[in-house]
Amino acid sequence: MEDQKLLAAIQSENADVRFAAWRQAGESTAAVVPELGRLMGASTAPVSKAAREALTTMAHAVGKDADAPGRAALVTALLGLTTKSNSLPVRVHAFRLLSGIAGADKAAQVAAALRLPEVQEEAIYCLERIPGTDADRELLASYKDVKDDFKPRVLYALGHRRVQEAAAVCAEAMRSANKQIAMAAVRAYGRIGKPAAAAAVYPDSGALSEWQRVEEMDSQLRFADHQARDGNHTEAMRIYAVALGRAEEHWQCAGIIGLAKIGTPEAAVAIHPKLKSQNRVVRITAEKAWISMAPPERV
Amino acid sequence: MLTGIMSTETTSRRGFLKGAAAASGAVSLFDIVPARALGLEGQTPPSDTIHFGHIGIGGRGRGFLRPMSNVGKQVKAPANLGGDGSRIMLPSLSVALCDVDTKRLDTAATLVGGKPKLYKDFRRLLEDKDVDAVFIASPDHWHALQTIMACEAGKDVYVEKPACNTIEEGRAMVSAAERYGRVVQVGSQGRSTLSAWQAANYIRGGQLGRVSRVLCWHYASPDGDWTPDSEPPPELDYDMWVGPARWLPYNVKHTHGAFRWMIDFGGGQIRDRGAHVMSIANWIMNCDDKGPVSIEAKGEPPHDGMYDSAVTMRVTYEFKDPDWTLVWAQPGTPSQELQAAYGAVYHGEKGPLTVTYGDGEPTNTEQKARDYAERCDCGKAFKSPGHAENFEDCIRTREKPIMHMEAAHRVASLCVLGNVSFQLQRKLEWDWVNERVVNDDEANRMLSRPGRGPWHL
Repeated sequence: MEDQKLLAAIQSENADVRFAAWRQAGESTAAVVPELGRLMGASTAPVSKAAREALTTMAHAVGKDADAPGRAALVTALLGLTTKSNSLPVRVHAFRLLSGIAGADKAAQVAAALRLPEVQEEAIYCLERIPGTDADRELLASYKDVKDDFKPRVLYALGHRRVQEAAAVCAEAMRSANKQIAMAAVRAYGRIGKPAAAAAVYPDSGALSEWQRVEEMDSQLRFADHQARDGNHTEAMRIYAVALGRAEEHWQCAGIIGLAKIGTPEAAVAIHPKLKSQNRVVRITAEKAWISMAPPERV
Repeated sequence: MLTGIMSTETTSRRGFLKGAAAASGAVSLFDIVPARALGLEGQTPPSDTIHFGHIGIGGRGRGFLRPMSNVGKQVKAPANLGGDGSRIMLPSLSVALCDVDTKRLDTAATLVGGKPKLYKDFRRLLEDKDVDAVFIASPDHWHALQTIMACEAGKDVYVEKPACNTIEEGRAMVSAAERYGRVVQVGSQGRSTLSAWQAANYIRGGQLGRVSRVLCWHYASPDGDWTPDSEPPPELDYDMWVGPARWLPYNVKHTHGAFRWMIDFGGGQIRDRGAHVMSIANWIMNCDDKGPVSIEAKGEPPHDGMYDSAVTMRVTYEFKDPDWTLVWAQPGTPSQELQAAYGAVYHGEKGPLTVTYGDGEPTNTEQKARDYAERCDCGKAFKSPGHAENFEDCIRTREKPIMHMEAAHRVASLCVLGNVSFQLQRKLEWDWVNERVVNDDEANRMLSRPGRGPWHL
């Protein structure tokens, strides 16, 4: 469908005409994007929807292949819709579409919006979905610049993407006097799973809320799982042993399960006392772990 | 659940256990692993009463409440959860309730009676050490995070279907349940029905020959309309309701009872009824730990109105080794054998077999499968005592329930991928081992949805 015919059909009073237009919008060029953005932001609900869906169809049409013809032009046009001259719903939608098709070369432009409170959540969502180390670097670099109330969100993104280079930043942030930042760093550190050069010092559990203590132990267990997978059994076993020593049933179970995955005789020794635990669930978990650790008989 | 990984392949089983026991300087092998192994005879019984917490107590969630008036009585299992309603449940009580809507909270508290603890923030409920296990019946976009956080807090979980809204969420749920050794039962109760077992017994017993096609049918979804956005009602914490999903201004037609028609929240019929009908299919076809190699969806969203999930939809899933095809069709072709609004027909070399519903509606199958089950138990399908009963059993035994997290994730993956293909309007080649779409950049990005701060996996 030609661009002008598309724009006319999008504004039709007939819902079926609008529908047919936005379903075919993948054939249009990026030149229609500014006008579709305007229609989305300044029209009646039905026309706004049709314009929004047309933009979505266009993004999906070039989404499969990063080198698809027209993708670069569409990304550039959508970045234009993220600017302040557009209404907020249009900017939000543009970021969401860019999260599916923007390439690493646009990570810096998207990251610039992390400093804009009205769209920073959408910008980081977008950046979090862009593959590659460029987006990692932009996220990491933004940590210093964004305001304190957004630093936890940046840490979440770094943890979610398992940005190895962020381990040191997380270790440092874990010492923050700002409890929100410190706890976000704890969570990210466990998810990244790479030891920082400087020893990570977890917040004093006595100063944490009940739920923060849950999060802290969970983060340590995730970190231990990474160490176990990476062959750093000594560190993993140290953390699992801490879990085994806690009164909480599920932390003991997590310690047992983690040790069973390591599967060495030393891990079995650590599990052994739990076979006689007074806690039924811990005991059953230990019995299953014990059995699972033994290799099949050699024939 | 536990996967043993031996560091020394040459260590024999006996040598390993003896070595470990000797290193512990304590007891002999047979003191450590008694003959009963995982049997529970002579073990300390579980606490007399299971204390349940409930997260999300709207229409569906209320069905799980264990009222104070039941205390001291012999209470039978709910019959709409797969069992026959005859079994006496373990003593249980709803001790804590949570909802972001205070009206719903008050209603549920009245239904329970006594003085259950009331929470608006589910994290406070999860902190409550008086709660042994939780029922989660919040909107779908909350299922994953709340299940994961419940595992982190040491609770066993019964969570409503679909398990998750993205592939990444489902895999994270599997990991959380494994990490903490928690029992997680997902509420696709159809596979706990007698009819589903009869059908599984019949098909796995070879009575249809090789099954090459499973055709699910359902009716089309509503087309929707326009309702203006508005301020949320004072009783609703809407920011918490949206939680990890992308922000959308409040609208009465996409929250309580209607979130189903928004892909970001409920995902349409395929994630609702599909998670029931295709759960039985995956189970019967032995696909609880695998997935299709391709997914192709065709159909239409609403032409107008505020909803974006499919009105009509036909999704074709191709499985390999063994080769078979699963089709989700709304509308589809109903069974000629049994009257029902939805279900599936299993087509084998020797003919078809119908299994209807799979949710709270009366699941049914054909007489030939019932007759066969009377004569023969092929022994290849677990016979669940009912979904709630099976959950209760597993809380005691620590075994995996019939709709365990891996199985639920695989079923939810069908629903999620069907929607991704539908949204992108193209066929997906699926690497089900690595859980990635082959050669499709945008589709792969859609397998994950970063949570809205502060909620994230």
